[in-house]
Amino acid sequence: MTDVNHKGKVVFEDVTRALQSKKSETIILHHCSFVVASGTLTVLIGPSGCGKTTIINLIAGYEKPDRGRVLIDGKHITGPDWERLVLFQETALFPWLTCYDNVMFGPLATKAMSRQEAHEQSVALLEKVGLRDFMDKYPIQLSGGMQRRAELARALINRPTVMLMDEPFRGLDAMTRELMQEYYLRLVEESHGTHLFVTSEVEEAIFLADKLIIMTNKPSRVKKVLDIDLPRPRVADVLRSKRYLELKTAALDILHEEAMKASKESGKADIDMVSCRRA
Amino acid sequence: MAASEVINTGSQVWKKLKKMGVNWTTVRRIMSVVLFLLAWTILVQFTGHFHQIPKPMDVFAALFQLKPGVIFVEILRSLLRVLGGFFIGLAIGFPLGVAIGYSRIANYLFFPAVEVVRPIPPIAWIPLTVLFFINVESQIVFLTFYGAFFPIVYNTMGGISEVDIRLPRAAMSFGINRMGMLWKIILPAAMPQIFTGMKVAIGITWLMVVAAEMIASKGGLGYWVWYHHTVMEYPMVILGMGIIGLCGALCSLAIDAIGNHFMKWRNIF
Repeated sequence: MTDVNHKGKVVFEDVTRALQSKKSETIILHHCSFVVASGTLTVLIGPSGCGKTTIINLIAGYEKPDRGRVLIDGKHITGPDWERLVLFQETALFPWLTCYDNVMFGPLATKAMSRQEAHEQSVALLEKVGLRDFMDKYPIQLSGGMQRRAELARALINRPTVMLMDEPFRGLDAMTRELMQEYYLRLVEESHGTHLFVTSEVEEAIFLADKLIIMTNKPSRVKKVLDIDLPRPRVADVLRSKRYLELKTAALDILHEEAMKASKESGKADIDMVSCRRA
Repeated sequence: MAASEVINTGSQVWKKLKKMGVNWTTVRRIMSVVLFLLAWTILVQFTGHFHQIPKPMDVFAALFQLKPGVIFVEILRSLLRVLGGFFIGLAIGFPLGVAIGYSRIANYLFFPAVEVVRPIPPIAWIPLTVLFFINVESQIVFLTFYGAFFPIVYNTMGGISEVDIRLPRAAMSFGINRMGMLWKIILPAAMPQIFTGMKVAIGITWLMVVAAEMIASKGGLGYWVWYHHTVMEYPMVILGMGIIGLCGALCSLAIDAIGNHFMKWRNIF
């Protein structure tokens, strides 16, 4: 999958990001560094509230780091851009546009392709995510899984260099989730783009990833990077393989360790906060 | 034998009614109105205190004494004042609401002033309008405009500032420019609340037009009610009140219908 010619290499260099409130400052990311290699599907996993959404917002350009640098192909990220698109936790489809018009939105806004070309691409993509018959429906008329797929199509039509997935399948029932993962994998394996996928589910993480980045508790850094050397194209069978179980055990051990640490430290959270601020 | 026949015909009547779209819900709704009229009648008939108030039957009888030509002219007069004030309110209030909601500078510039003036009930402006306009018609339209203005400004502004942040963020990522953001994202997203504002506004314009007409003596439904009060024809007074209520309700329904037309995406299932 990795191809030297592909763009979309994301570099987090010693990034610190804190949230200010009136009384205190909460450090979300603390000297956090990692690389998302171009053309790979990198999955970011960590305890809840460890700043995964903050990482997505930093790469998307909705937020800026307090210290350190966020680079894409060696350039600073200065603001939102359609080379870096986000799939949010809950649906962000425009409710007043039909499924088809939602997908057409990006190409018509950027004028990156002609209307005719955009139309062909939209129809093809909607076909691919199984929504060909639901093109003229409004988001409110679609099920949760369909909304996610429509959103995927709406993002992918812009051929983003980096696709940022912020727990996109959260809240879907188990069956729909599995189906979504398969739709998603097929699209990723065809498109060869760079994907950063955030999740808190270990099974999902290993099933999808080329590379798995495990985060620590807040203030977050990278705890460990695991190479997921399962074969591609990946199908559900892989979930029964020995290698999958080994990787899952390894990942769970690391996450468990973090969870233990978190519960031990929760009693003296206030003191922790002070020491963080000094650091 | 006879009893079963009665039950039989009864159920047949019920079946026919059902075919005409009558069901228990409509029956209960009608019951509600009937009970209200009954309570009214009983209250007037059997309590000494309210004996001067006309009974529902008196009001119903007054309906046939109405001269259609006269009453429709009054309705039209009031309606034109309401619509005049409403549309001027929309023409000024909507852009102002958009500006306050969308631009920080406009917010600092206008919002404090709006906040200072808003708590004054519109009716309290009646004496001052005499200084603004010599023409009575202008005075009335100004008051209806004033009633419509704040609900429109406030709800437009509120609708815009409460747009779910993920929608403009998504649009920003797709490379939309600032004008496109306003027309294609912010306004459609704020549309439900903008229509809520218009609905509140048209209600207040009716309130204002009635109050103004009662004072101004230049015709209209408010004046019509007041006139019948001075000649002590109270069935006509109540009838006039009913007509005002009906007009208000119809205006509100019209706004709902327009809103549903523009927001098909909200109530399609």
